[in-house]
Amino acid sequence: MAIENPLGTSPLAFPVLECFHIAGFALAIGMSTLADFRLLGLGLRKQSPEQIAREFRWWTLGGLIIAVFSGLLLFSTDPDMYYTNWSFLIKMVCLALAVTFHYTIRRKAVSKKISPSAGRWVACVSMALWLAVIFGGIFIAVVRPGLT
Amino acid sequence: MLLPTLIRLENLAVFTSLRSSAYIYPIVLTLHLSAISLFGAMIVATDLRLLGWVLPDCSIPAVIQQLRWPKRIGFLVAATFGFLLFACKAEEYYYNAFFRTKILLFLLIAMHAAIFRRVYTNSRDSGSASHPSPLQKTAAWLSLVLWLAVLCAGRGIGYIPGRAGMHYS
Repeated sequence: MAIENPLGTSPLAFPVLECFHIAGFALAIGMSTLADFRLLGLGLRKQSPEQIAREFRWWTLGGLIIAVFSGLLLFSTDPDMYYTNWSFLIKMVCLALAVTFHYTIRRKAVSKKISPSAGRWVACVSMALWLAVIFGGIFIAVVRPGLT
Repeated sequence: MLLPTLIRLENLAVFTSLRSSAYIYPIVLTLHLSAISLFGAMIVATDLRLLGWVLPDCSIPAVIQQLRWPKRIGFLVAATFGFLLFACKAEEYYYNAFFRTKILLFLLIAMHAAIFRRVYTNSRDSGSASHPSPLQKTAAWLSLVLWLAVLCAGRGIGYIPGRAGMHYS
């Protein structure tokens, strides 16, 4: 039995979801990067990295939740294409790494449990992982139609 | 006057090759989005502070002052990549309703900046250093709405298919 995805019935559904997706990841990644920048000695220098990460953690998480849920809905419109799209697969691996890194090593780094120089490395890795996620997302449309 | 200039712009060698490159164009798009993410977060952080929702220990002027230059640089980087994306399809963008909307929104943002200038440069003009005044809250909400609209308009640009008869060389 074929079940039609209601998202496929409206031409507006995908673009509107994409706006939510972009707003969500921009919020999550941007807010996380504020603390990364602070680890590098840039931006809100009057606050400690820990303070910045703490103040914006719910905004980071909120953005992440919006991005993930809108992303799942986007995925549902054409799962076969995404599943066979290597850029999408790389994006998912980078996303898993970025989120894990954020809530483990990055969390330790902002709470001063490591040296400042190590903190700078952590900030660079964190930003590189999020950048890779954005790259993976944009290139989904470039490498279509997936594996041949 | 404007349209012939745009056609000349998009047919410069650098933009012709950018337009036809399979990978450089999406890379520029990725960098545009990454810069937006960072720049957007600094705007949202400032607006959240103006609303009194974050960083209560740091005064409003201190937050604004600390983020002023990072925001300017972030905007410049996002705008530079945005210009590259625009320049290689300048003629098409000229007709694009979402691009026109986006430009209009930028004009509104410039007006917002002019009107609420003092709210951002010197918070002592309105409200105390720690507690936002109604004027500051208004400025923050308007800023959030305008920038969110810019983001949606930007995404919309790609959904309007190009017309036939563009003067690409």
